[in-house]
Amino acid sequence: MSTPVLIVDDSAMARKMLQRALPNDWDVEVTHAANGVEALQAYRAGKAAVMFLDLTMPDMDGYQVLETLRRESLDSFVIVVSADVQPLAQERVKQLGAIGFVRKPVTAEKLAPLLREYGVL
Amino acid sequence: MHRDALQEVANVAMGEAGAKLAELLDTFVRLSVPRILISDAAEVPDTLGKLLEPHNAVTAVRQSFLSRIQGEAIVLFGEAGCAELADLMGYDGVLAPSERREVLLDIANVLVGACLGGVFRQFGLELGFTAPSLLAEDTPAQRLIRADTLDWSRALLVEVNFRLEQGAFSSHLIVLLPERSIDRMRESLDQIIAAL
Repeated sequence: MSTPVLIVDDSAMARKMLQRALPNDWDVEVTHAANGVEALQAYRAGKAAVMFLDLTMPDMDGYQVLETLRRESLDSFVIVVSADVQPLAQERVKQLGAIGFVRKPVTAEKLAPLLREYGVL
Repeated sequence: MHRDALQEVANVAMGEAGAKLAELLDTFVRLSVPRILISDAAEVPDTLGKLLEPHNAVTAVRQSFLSRIQGEAIVLFGEAGCAELADLMGYDGVLAPSERREVLLDIANVLVGACLGGVFRQFGLELGFTAPSLLAEDTPAQRLIRADTLDWSRALLVEVNFRLEQGAFSSHLIVLLPERSIDRMRESLDQIIAAL
């Protein structure tokens, strides 16, 4: 069965870049969301076994999505994809339950090792 | 698609600038979603005023950048935040006006260098800067730039802002591009989009 993957970013270009960076041999069904509200809707519809999550977004940002997932004990492999390179930003999202952090702009070379490391791939 | 692409290019660049600012002030910086506006040159002063609400008075540093795409970068600091600068920078007591100016010029230089450097790296272009200079002190945002001093008919404004988690310090980086540079930037964005 294909893995449901959710790409959350307010930028259509960033979503496209991420989708292109996914490994070719990974059997996935990709859904896009443009903000945190849409992301949670997609999650609840079973479309986010793996979630790639941007941090700075209007209408519920990435931190709020992580907080909601944690508060409601929801289960998804969340990989944060952000331009925020402050070490504290990485620490915080990991404390909130994200399993990984990828720095923008995303490339296939950055993504594949992380997916392998966590056994998602 | 171009607005979206520019917003994302700016987002990536501001991440680097925010990290530099965090390092400089030893604190966590909250990043914003970049805002992009196209305005008739005559309306630039009013547009700036609206972008910067609720700041009444701002201190501004400007720097020109030169490349295939040229323009002006302006860094604005709100009044309340300036008062906290001494603390943030680890100085004892109050900053003398000359010290305050020096600190603001330094911060502006770091933000402009990191942010525009990040944008132009994504475009694959080299760029140079003039030295930062003080544009205005404690001045209403609408009066920062006089429309008649802009030698352009249309301008593109890109705004990103950096807030600290604690305290009132905030700064906005605004990039103004004249018409010809807008066209050239569109070409650079075309290339990025075509590569997707």
